[in-house]
Amino acid sequence: MKKLMTSTTLFLSVLCSAASLAAEGDIGVAAAMDDRYCTTCHGVEGLGNIAIEAPRLAGMEAWYLKRQLENFRAGIRGKHGEDLQGNAMRPMAAKLSDESITDIVDWIGDWEYVPAEATIEGNVRQGRTAFQACAACHGANAQGNEALGAPALAGQNDWYLLTQLRNFRAGFRGSHQEDTFGSQMVTMSKTLRDDQAVINVVSYINTL
Amino acid sequence: MTNPVSRREFLNLLGAYGGTSAVLQAGVALGFMPSSSQAAEITLQANNGKKVAILGTGISALTTAWELTKAGYGCTLLEASHRPGGRMFTVRSGTVIDEIGNYQRCEWDNDPHLYFNAGAARIPSIHSNVLKYCKELEVELQVFVNESKTAWVQDDAMNGGKPVRNTDYSSSMQGFISEMLSKALGDSQLDSSLTESESEILLSMLRRFGDLNEDMLYKGSTRAGYGSGGFLDHGTKKDVVALRDLLKARNGGSVMVTTQEGTGSGPLLMQPVGGMDRIIYAFANRLRDRIKFRAPVTEVMVKGDGVEVAYEQNGVTEVLKADYCFNCIPSHLMSGIPNNFPTDYSEALNYIRRGRAYKAAFQAKERFWEKENIYGGITWVNAPIQQIWYPPHNIHGKKGVVLAAYNFGGANYTEMSQEDRIEDLLKHGEKVHPNYREMAEKPMTIAWHRMNHMLGCAPRWARNRGGWSDKEEQMYETLRQPVNGRHYLIGDQSTQHSAWMESAIQSAHYALADLDQRVRSEPA
Ligand SMILES: Cc1cc2nc3c(=O)[nH]c(=O)nc-3n(C[C@H](O)[C@H](O)[C@H](O)COP(=O)(O)OP(=O)(O)OC[C@H]3O[C@@H](n4cnc5c(N)ncnc54)[C@H](O)[C@@H]3O)c2cc1C
Ligand code: HEC
Ligand code: HEC
Repeated sequence: MKKLMTSTTLFLSVLCSAASLAAEGDIGVAAAMDDRYCTTCHGVEGLGNIAIEAPRLAGMEAWYLKRQLENFRAGIRGKHGEDLQGNAMRPMAAKLSDESITDIVDWIGDWEYVPAEATIEGNVRQGRTAFQACAACHGANAQGNEALGAPALAGQNDWYLLTQLRNFRAGFRGSHQEDTFGSQMVTMSKTLRDDQAVINVVSYINTL
Repeated sequence: MTNPVSRREFLNLLGAYGGTSAVLQAGVALGFMPSSSQAAEITLQANNGKKVAILGTGISALTTAWELTKAGYGCTLLEASHRPGGRMFTVRSGTVIDEIGNYQRCEWDNDPHLYFNAGAARIPSIHSNVLKYCKELEVELQVFVNESKTAWVQDDAMNGGKPVRNTDYSSSMQGFISEMLSKALGDSQLDSSLTESESEILLSMLRRFGDLNEDMLYKGSTRAGYGSGGFLDHGTKKDVVALRDLLKARNGGSVMVTTQEGTGSGPLLMQPVGGMDRIIYAFANRLRDRIKFRAPVTEVMVKGDGVEVAYEQNGVTEVLKADYCFNCIPSHLMSGIPNNFPTDYSEALNYIRRGRAYKAAFQAKERFWEKENIYGGITWVNAPIQQIWYPPHNIHGKKGVVLAAYNFGGANYTEMSQEDRIEDLLKHGEKVHPNYREMAEKPMTIAWHRMNHMLGCAPRWARNRGGWSDKEEQMYETLRQPVNGRHYLIGDQSTQHSAWMESAIQSAHYALADLDQRVRSEPA
């Protein structure tokens, strides 16, 4: 009996609302979309999402974030046909206005920084040696250096660092004529002898 | 006289594919019906105390909520989007496509016939559970025409790029295949494996299938339509098209096969009158007060005695506490939402890949295809747009919505700008219909890989074409077990046949049966 009652009440409430909803199509008219859609890919509060290969944004330096968004927007980054992840990000920035970028950078600045979990294991000792060449720009603790335009690497998703180093080495990132900062990294990434060396240096960065 | 491929060439080909005797031996007896052809009986123990959090409003979530609500559970549904239904999405006048970075609002005429099923569009007759809910919730259905013999086949490499009618292609192809096979039937290898009466039956079937003459040769067929006459005057046969010419079309496989994988449905399927989202709203209207829209889930914590789900609404984080949780949030988005799932469960979640799919549609000024004797069905184009669909409903009405592209792999559309997508569909479409560009009003496009809150089409489990590996089977089983007996992953992602509404519904039924059994065995 109880069950019956529930479905009757349900049914009545339907009759009242069905007509309006069915005509409307969407429940709740979609508001004009703002540009704060980043977390769908980059995870809640920009913690990074391995399944989308979108890295952690929380804690990222405002100046670096801004430059990357501008570079994606201008097609300086993410345009190379083999840069699959960059290809996914570039259209996300293509229509951002300057005001929007400022707003987003502010917004991201509010997110809590949580260092990413390590997922890669290589030879940390060899990685440490290789990192000496990196420290000049990225800092001894991979904390970044604004004056040189080199971002922090510590705490970033290691799978993402791996893609970037591989892409710099292959010229998928950093080979656009106007990518002055990226092109420095193309040169630097070549100091890493092979893919194992890339894995090792990222494993070392994981310890910082 | 056409003699396209010699018999020897054909037999060599057969040999290369392992001969025919293998085919003859490998078959199984006819006569069994697949289990999915029966709709499930859901008999949940009526229960009033328990609270259930349902994450997302995909068809699996709505099924769960509907069944549980009928049984007296207290359900709350949390939906990130402004609309219910996920991949069951219909675009009509006023609808917003919130593709990330490519926001579009539909400005078609406000007319119930003018809609575009941007996600799911077709219901096969053996998808009994989809049909069961359509019946229960009074969603009116109509026939969807999946194949039209008067629609076109186009490939730049065939016929100088000019389209040919489906029937010209398929009747000729059937003729050639039948002729070649009947020649091969004389071959000792095939002969020895068939009895005389089997051979006879096969031959007579081939004659009809290919419309062969007395000598078992294909000399053209009136099935392709008449060259002239046909009603007041005798019809004349069209000239035979050379097999070599037909073999230039690289999309012939699609033309010849209209039956969807695993459905046995063939040229006829079904669709709800007015759009696929009629099913979604039939559920959502009945569950209205229980659904929170624009409420993205931001954390899922499974506890010993229940589940705590954090979500955001109007900029404020709220926590929903429930006894159980049913979750249809796509696995690749769940990976970016903090949770306390066990490691093996998370690994399995992170393993599933998101498939791509792209569709586009426009409102046609006039139903120009009807002037070409086309009423529904699919034109196949060997270009990334792949397909053009003509609406089977509102025949002879003023306007209609044409599906102008459907690429289930997504091609390069995901990264393309809206302008480039539109130019691409017009450019390929006008090779088929010369007045296409002029007829197309307000094209809308959707790249599922970029759709807000979805970011994908079919979940992809198997990484190898050969099928599921043991490891994949194992991960699948892991995800089918509720975490702590409290958190159930539902949706077509937790089935082995993704990209069907039926699978999504059955995943809900599977989880509900598990829940019911747990609730029943609880001490009173
Ligand atoms: C192009 C295309 C064509 C298709 N064609 C057919 C067809 O012809 N026939 C057929 O049967 N099937 C078809 N399908 C498949 C069918 O649409 C799906 O199998 C089915 O709709 C999946 O339902 P689901 O329950 O898995 O949930 P989904 O539809 O995947 O829903 C997931 C839900 O989770 C929500 N969500 C995401 N993030 C959050 C968050 N953080 N918090 C809260 N909610 C969140 C989403 O907004 C969405 O509502 C097609 C699909 C596509 C894309
Ligand atoms: C469709 C998914 C998607 C969306 C939406 C998205 N991104 Fe990305 N983003 C990515 C991917 C994938 C990468 C990784 C690119 C690579 O590996 O080169 C990335 C990279 C980035 C980077 C580079 C990080 C670095 O360390 O250099 C920044 C910055 C960024 N995204 C910011 C944003 C912002 C801000 C938004 C919202 C306006 C956004 N993204 C929306 C997928 C997305
Ligand atoms: C000469 C200075 C310099 C040195 C040395 C250097 N880098 Fe960089 N690196 C940069 C700059 C500048 C960028 C930012 C590029 C851009 O803005 O696109 C960068 C970016 C990166 C990135 C991408 C970060 C992100 O969030 O996308 C990685 C990874 C990286 N460097 C690793 C290394 C490693 C490993 C080494 C040592 C082998 C190294 N770098 C040495 C200057 C340097």
